[in-house]
Amino acid sequence: MKLYRKEGNIIQILSFPNECAEKGDYLMVEDTEAAKALIVQVIDVQFAAVPGVLEELLRTLPDGGEPIQGEDIDPLEIAPHITYIQDASLLVCKIRATLENNMLSPSSSWLPSRSQSLIRKLSVPALMKLANVDGKRPIILGGTKDSSLLTIDATALDGTLNIITGKKGCGKSHLSKLLMASLVGYKATVVVFDLNGEYGSIGMTNDGKRNIYYDRIYALTPSQNFKVAINQLHLNVVLGILVNALHLPGTSAREFKRIWKQLKDQSKLTLAELHEAIRNCNCNQHVRDALASRYFSLVNSGFFTDNLTEAALLDDSLLKAKDSGGAIIINLKNTGNIDRQIVVEYVLGKLVDSLQNWKLKAVFLFAEEAHLYLRETYWDDIVTRMRHFGIFTTFITNQPDTVQETIYRQADNIFLFNFTNEHDLDVVSRAARVDAETVRSIARDLPPHNCLTLGRVVRDFPMVTRVRSLDLKTMGETRLFFAS
Amino acid sequence: MIEQYTITTTPKYNFPQPTTDTPLPTRFIELSINSLRQAHNTNLQPTPQTLTPELHQECPTQLQLKRTPLPRPPSHQPTPSAAVDTSTIKIGETKTGIIIAIRGATVQQKNRRYHYTRLGPFIFHITEENKNAVYSNLERDCFHTPYTGSRQATPPLMQMPTRLASILERWMQNRLARTTNNAVLLFDGSLISGTMDTPVHRMREILTLARRNNNTVLAFSKATSLRANGYLITDLLPSGEAPYLLETTGLRFKAPMVPLGDVYVARLHKANMAFRLDIDCEVPLQSRFEAVEKLLGNDVLQNSYPETLRLAHILCTFTANEVLAMQHFITRRHGIQIVNRPDMHRLLFGPFGREGFA
Repeated sequence: MKLYRKEGNIIQILSFPNECAEKGDYLMVEDTEAAKALIVQVIDVQFAAVPGVLEELLRTLPDGGEPIQGEDIDPLEIAPHITYIQDASLLVCKIRATLENNMLSPSSSWLPSRSQSLIRKLSVPALMKLANVDGKRPIILGGTKDSSLLTIDATALDGTLNIITGKKGCGKSHLSKLLMASLVGYKATVVVFDLNGEYGSIGMTNDGKRNIYYDRIYALTPSQNFKVAINQLHLNVVLGILVNALHLPGTSAREFKRIWKQLKDQSKLTLAELHEAIRNCNCNQHVRDALASRYFSLVNSGFFTDNLTEAALLDDSLLKAKDSGGAIIINLKNTGNIDRQIVVEYVLGKLVDSLQNWKLKAVFLFAEEAHLYLRETYWDDIVTRMRHFGIFTTFITNQPDTVQETIYRQADNIFLFNFTNEHDLDVVSRAARVDAETVRSIARDLPPHNCLTLGRVVRDFPMVTRVRSLDLKTMGETRLFFAS
Repeated sequence: MIEQYTITTTPKYNFPQPTTDTPLPTRFIELSINSLRQAHNTNLQPTPQTLTPELHQECPTQLQLKRTPLPRPPSHQPTPSAAVDTSTIKIGETKTGIIIAIRGATVQQKNRRYHYTRLGPFIFHITEENKNAVYSNLERDCFHTPYTGSRQATPPLMQMPTRLASILERWMQNRLARTTNNAVLLFDGSLISGTMDTPVHRMREILTLARRNNNTVLAFSKATSLRANGYLITDLLPSGEAPYLLETTGLRFKAPMVPLGDVYVARLHKANMAFRLDIDCEVPLQSRFEAVEKLLGNDVLQNSYPETLRLAHILCTFTANEVLAMQHFITRRHGIQIVNRPDMHRLLFGPFGREGFA
């Protein structure tokens, strides 16, 4: 390989056919004179602009017809040299760092010698060692192209905002399960909004046996084994549900607040008493109607109860998860749109409340297709307020434009699967921790189950990984009509 | 230097050699390799330069061009055609000489399907010391001429590339004339002999062989210096319907040049282009015209130039890619290092210097 050009933080390297380098590979451009090296990543592979190639190709096509047949008697065997040069490729590489005195710095301000630089491939383990991507809590994401393992540290997910995105059916949920299970393995508290009911069986192996996570997976299905006692609700939580999920206007919300406090003071906070209080409320007819309709929405969801024993499971699960780690799976599969928002509002309110009171240390929240149940204002909360409470969210979506731009800008880690659509790639490339060219170029060519990992977990060295398989009952497959 | 792999490690880049048993003079290969061995571990200043044989200073006297076109209707009687062309290129200069490459191509057309055979490239390191041996040995092996060993017989160093290419071209023409029957043979250039690179007996032998096998040789010149009344003969085109031939008369050449063909101007396509066409003068007039008509009926003649000959020219021409490959070859196989010396013109005259390769 030969150093050819450098423009800004792009380096072009001439590579010959037997020096196979592909997109995503890392190379080290070492200048022994300067005692420094550039760490670069291949983001595109092009044909080298070898002079005369076009003529070479054209001359075998007389009048644009089929290739002319013939034979070459080439006693000196020059032909292999011709094809060798013809097949030379140009590696377009992004400078990722400078290595000096075994220390990495994100600098690209110097120019290595074009004639004297040594260029060699850098294996993932070697790069990870240089970048100190190791820790006491390893999570093996999967295998890299050079048959090594990509291991990240669970602490790099701590306090971070993450996005897992990619085309449908490329393995996003699989990766989120891997991360979730690994975090549970390190005794973290994980809450999952399970939109498709695919996380509930994570405690089982593929062949139906219990696995090591079995006792730490708490699957909660709203209105079945997951209910809320009305008198245990905090006013701010129930107001959050009414305003954000059921769109109760401000005037009505104030009236509801008065009714709620009154019943609370009288220790009469039950569903029946609440209904009665709304019915007899001395207020504007419209306000009364608004409150009544919201009340019936709450009741019809089946999520609220007066029975305290029915409503203890979430608290119990959180308590257990706090002590020995665990995942609370909120199964939203058979929950209607409005009810889903009610449940999510309640859970988030409950989490904030528990975190504020230090009943919980921190929570890793996994949200699949969050745009289907998160209110508009919540996105801003995620990047501002929530992390201060200790809620560290991972969004999983196949529609990257449904995640607000601020989320991409603030995201600490992005796990990017294949996208071919330019629009989708444009959205993802707004992430602050990676350049647009890398996202566009590498993500477009990712095979299924391969993921481009960006951000803190890989010390800003984008890595392509084939996500490892899990012996978990994942249940995330698409149900098929024509399945054999 | 970055470690480079040897290309032999990749089977993809090792072409299988043709199975055809070509009686190519092994001397070409031997001399090529031996001459390159002499340049082992020397430096090469790359100066890629395609070389063309200089036009003979033809000084015919009293040349007249008949203004009456001889229309030639295409004859669709299936007739194969075959063409030969060679090319040479100077790859660069060493301290003691030059490194050149030559290659030849034969294209055969049958039923409008083309098949080519390419010979080469052959790479030579030519110096003042070895040029005599290289030239004489090739002459002797290709044409069984006695080895002269005299320095006067060999051309100057800078003429060696075109002269070696000429040896290869005549050898290929000879083989084509010997092995092809009932065809139209297309040569590049004229049928003038008696020059340093085309002795009369050599061209005569080729034409005799061709006639013996019922072939007709047509030689197309891409450029000519022949003039009638001060005008180039290819510029004096009457407004008749193409295809047609124009005859010339009064063609006389000064010794030692001997014309072995009659000269015509051929406009074989409606495009307003014409070429000097030399036709073996030993061929009867009717057979000459029939050969042109068969060519018109069997080959593609875009711009009045036969496709078979065009392909032969294209296939033997060296591309920049091939020049790079040959530099790669001599570096890898013979340890000749490519060194770019500064271009003196650029150095001295800056932007006013001529374009250089350095």
